Amino acid sequence: MSTDAVGTQETPLYPPTGEPIGEIARRTKVGLWTLIVMSVSGTLALVVSYSYLWALNVNGGWAPPGASLTSSQTNSTLPSKSDATFAPEWPFWAIFGLTVLATIAMWFGYKQLVKGHRDGMLLGGGVSLIITVAALVAQWIQITTFPFGASNGAYASAVLLLCAENIFNLLILVFLHIGLLNRTRKGLISPLVYYQTKLVSYWMVWICVSVLLGALLTTFLLDSPNTEPSIFGTFKLPS
Amino acid sequence: MSATATAFGAQVPQPVQHGKPGGIMRRLNFGTGLIGGLGLAAIAAVVTNAFIPSGAASSVNYAPIAPQLVYLAALLGWVIGFMAGMGAFIGPIRWLMGRDLTHADAEYMAGKDLGKARYWKFTTDHKVVGIQYLIMVMIILGFGGLLAMLIRTELGVTWAEVFTPSFYNSIIGTHGIAMIIGMIIVVMGPIANFIMPIMIGARDMAFPRLNALSLWLLAAAVPCLISSLFLGGIQDGWSVYQPLASQGPPGMLGYQMTIIVFAISTGVASVNVMTTILTMRAKGMTWSRTPILVFGVFAAALMGLYAFPFYQYSQILALSDRIFSTSFFKPLEGGSVWLYENLFWLLGHPEVYVILIPSTALMLELLPVFYRKPLFSFNFAVAGIVGVVALSGLVWAHHMYMTGWAPAVNYPFMLSTEMISIPVGFLVLVVLGTMWRGVVWTRLPIMAVYAVIFNKMIGGVTGIYLSDVPADQYFHGSMFVVAHFHFMLMGVGLFGAMGGIAFYFPKMTGRMLNERSGSIGLWTAFVGFQITFMSMFVAGLQGQPRRVLQFDDLFNISNWISTIGAYIIGVGMLIFLGAIISSWKYGDIAPSNPWGSKSLEWQTPTPVPLDNFAVLPVVTERPYNYGVPDPYEKEMREHDGDLMTKVGAK
Amino acid sequence: MTATDVRPDPDGPETPTNRPPSMHRVKNWIRRPYARGIMVLTVVIGFLLLPLCWLLLAAMNQTGAPASPIMRDIEQTVFVFTLVSIPICAFVFAVLVYSLLGWKHVKGDQVPKDESPAIRSNTIGVVLWTVVSSALAFFLVVWGLIELAQITANSYGTIPADEQPADSQALIVNVTGQQWVWTFEYPQYDKITSETLYLEKDRPVYFNVTSKDVIHNFWAVELGVKIDANPGAITQTGVTPDKAGTFNVRCAELCGLHHAYMETQIQVLDKGSFNSWAREMGGSKTS
Repeated sequence: MSTDAVGTQETPLYPPTGEPIGEIARRTKVGLWTLIVMSVSGTLALVVSYSYLWALNVNGGWAPPGASLTSSQTNSTLPSKSDATFAPEWPFWAIFGLTVLATIAMWFGYKQLVKGHRDGMLLGGGVSLIITVAALVAQWIQITTFPFGASNGAYASAVLLLCAENIFNLLILVFLHIGLLNRTRKGLISPLVYYQTKLVSYWMVWICVSVLLGALLTTFLLDSPNTEPSIFGTFKLPS
Repeated sequence: MSATATAFGAQVPQPVQHGKPGGIMRRLNFGTGLIGGLGLAAIAAVVTNAFIPSGAASSVNYAPIAPQLVYLAALLGWVIGFMAGMGAFIGPIRWLMGRDLTHADAEYMAGKDLGKARYWKFTTDHKVVGIQYLIMVMIILGFGGLLAMLIRTELGVTWAEVFTPSFYNSIIGTHGIAMIIGMIIVVMGPIANFIMPIMIGARDMAFPRLNALSLWLLAAAVPCLISSLFLGGIQDGWSVYQPLASQGPPGMLGYQMTIIVFAISTGVASVNVMTTILTMRAKGMTWSRTPILVFGVFAAALMGLYAFPFYQYSQILALSDRIFSTSFFKPLEGGSVWLYENLFWLLGHPEVYVILIPSTALMLELLPVFYRKPLFSFNFAVAGIVGVVALSGLVWAHHMYMTGWAPAVNYPFMLSTEMISIPVGFLVLVVLGTMWRGVVWTRLPIMAVYAVIFNKMIGGVTGIYLSDVPADQYFHGSMFVVAHFHFMLMGVGLFGAMGGIAFYFPKMTGRMLNERSGSIGLWTAFVGFQITFMSMFVAGLQGQPRRVLQFDDLFNISNWISTIGAYIIGVGMLIFLGAIISSWKYGDIAPSNPWGSKSLEWQTPTPVPLDNFAVLPVVTERPYNYGVPDPYEKEMREHDGDLMTKVGAK
Repeated sequence: MTATDVRPDPDGPETPTNRPPSMHRVKNWIRRPYARGIMVLTVVIGFLLLPLCWLLLAAMNQTGAPASPIMRDIEQTVFVFTLVSIPICAFVFAVLVYSLLGWKHVKGDQVPKDESPAIRSNTIGVVLWTVVSSALAFFLVVWGLIELAQITANSYGTIPADEQPADSQALIVNVTGQQWVWTFEYPQYDKITSETLYLEKDRPVYFNVTSKDVIHNFWAVELGVKIDANPGAITQTGVTPDKAGTFNVRCAELCGLHHAYMETQIQVLDKGSFNSWAREMGGSKTS
């Protein structure tokens, strides 16, 4: 087929439908915004879960059993690690930092791409990929080394799900990075057609926000304000 | 420097056609999907079974973990295997590898020259997806309807237990979720997919492959729900309140997987619908020239977009509680039942508007065609839809008045809930105004509007009772609530959809729906509907709680009447279904515009060509340009003129 | 000369100062056959619907007549809301009926000629509808808010369980729901327990409600009291029963296999009988 199928330098066309790339870019951008709304709702669900459970401290079960200060008069009959405590805060911020760095690297790559520097894009994207993988590994290590198990109360449950969401998001980012790098290498992503890189950069900014929310919760919302929860199944309070 | 580097950015590389158009998609269809799904499910189950020691430790209070893990593995295997077998992952893989679709690939995937086979494949043409949704909807609603007949049978046989309590509880829950899923997609599926892109003058939706994805995800989700019935079912109504839902059989995992997958399906569909409407309207189609159905569909997609993740996450958290022993909803260990209820109802309420708004917008779209006059106060209708969307996210806790979670908060929620009746009222006014002084062309699609408005008034008024907190102290958890939401979701939602399907049947299938049998079906169902649910209101007023299979003799008569009514609904619906099926095969061939509509979708030939329009249309006038100048206007002007003369004004 | 000069005006000659032009518009509008038809239909349908106000209450009383001020309030609300909704429903139904019987219809397969008036908007109609529907909604909200405040002041636990003085005038009952039985404990009477709820006539009672397993819902039907029994939380409600007799408690939240059978009775006794019951059960009033 002739080059008409892909258009000219002035108006590159999208091969499957023959529409101008500008149209497709605009559509994909709108689609991305709607996807962000969806992801925001999902993250909000976890934020709400964490904060609500923190505020209620039902049956004194918010904090892991070994953490001092909070009620230990629970009727919990599950075996629990008696040395289970709140997780240290710095790993959450480290992972946030890595995500931010990866985003910056990707933006660098995107800006380079628009100027026509293929190597700049590959560098920026490549560095971003490495940092994202590092974040992924770090998150995995954090999960496996938490000082509590899944059955150690509501805090433990909420933190584990927040981290699981991070893993999910980072895995998707790894996939996107590989795709972008490969496509840049093949020339499918170029100064003529760069909208996919741009949109992934926007998406990464949202992911930074998502990780940040988790870090904020796990740093500032630790001890529950409800220090006298009622005892399950009774009408008494702890003495 | 390699040749690529100097040429970087000079032009876009041409995608290379590897082999025949469509590539591997040529060999993938529903059959390979089934093989992939069942195969991977079996493998996953066997492997998981091998890895779990028998008698594995489980958390106290909950069922043994081993069968649950095996079932969960089978469900995951089914979903992933089915989607892989359908070819859903081919798109992302090709993107990753840089093997983009050529024009010929895209045409193949749109089903060009494939004949009937395209309905069994991962086809991207929105018209094919619309028909596939129509079939899925009929299957789901049929399944739900069958369960309804079983429920009413149990409630009608007041002197004995027809089913065990366990089975009864699971059929009421499964009926509920099947109907909710069916009602969400009954208008959004066939009509938003098939009709909406043509109505706005586009060639397809914004993301055709996402369109196919959303349909096949639904197809993957439904067997998960059906499988749950065979594994003990769901024991806790469609809302599966925790922690009851965590007790008992593994069937609950089927429900959770259904919702998790379904939420992805609707999310993706919402993204597609919203992007299409925002970016692909025809040249000249400004918002004031956009048909009202498009507004309705957009509103539903928007509400689904922000609300569904809450439902999805509520089920993910519940799944985690069950499988990983977390304690989101286990009060003994810090979990909160109110957390579940809030997450659930954050979706649960907008979701009813996801059902109601497209159905109402569909009725609004029909009125001008059959009264041959413009829609009354188009702006007011848009205001109504916008008002409902704006308030939809602020009313959820009216489902939680009686939970005691935050009594002070009942006041603002009562306020917002009663306020939402105002924009809904705008839509009723627009219907009445369009009917006003109109010459009625009494065909089947428009007759459905009468049924819808009647039901809407009754449903709306009974909703007012429920929105009042003190009154809700009597009505919550009783059959009154059940009757109310059936009037809204079925009385308005389903009857509206039936009218809409009758309207679009000629465009979608190329044949006219047989009006005689369609009308007999619709009105039989309508009569049965009134009998069933009016009697159910009485049962609720008398004080019958909901979700009970046995009750005081006091409630016997209302239940017998409801059951008879339900069988009549069943007969009516079967007649209507029969009309659809027989008309699809043997109906009169339809002209391309049997209703004389001026809307864009009726300006195409039937069957609609692959690209919809040979030349994309340009819109230059307002929609609904029907009717003649109002004779009374002339008379009033003359009268005013006379009056001015009489009082001496010039 | 215009036609109006020929018709005698029964109200006398027109002067510029009385009767504004808009009144003529309204008079003329009312003269149109459909306007009168719809108004008549509205009134007729309204009257046909009116008995609903009483019929709904009759149905609500079938389990038993109201036995507390709360239940009476609820019934009054149902009555008033029905009354207020009837004119709107009647009007809407009247339009539906009139559009089928009063205005022209066309049958058949041929697309009809356009004959309907192309009314795209009518400011008066829209404004009137908005004002009336908003006023009605506002009325319902205000009614509801006031009623809720009254009921709450009299009954809902504004006093958490741990602050309720044991010697308060009110009776305190701790309600525990569990699959599938209700248990009532009387902390003021040496913590006697019972599976039937005994209450004293004309004495306010505070309920503290919880559950030992799943969510139940404590519904004292004729008393008009309802609150969820949540595991891990204590919820409150209350009422003052003002009729002696036997009443019903039902569970109003699906709680498992035998949810349908999770019912029990309420016995409202006068002061003397209540005290003898308490003594029989081994409890004496503490304090």
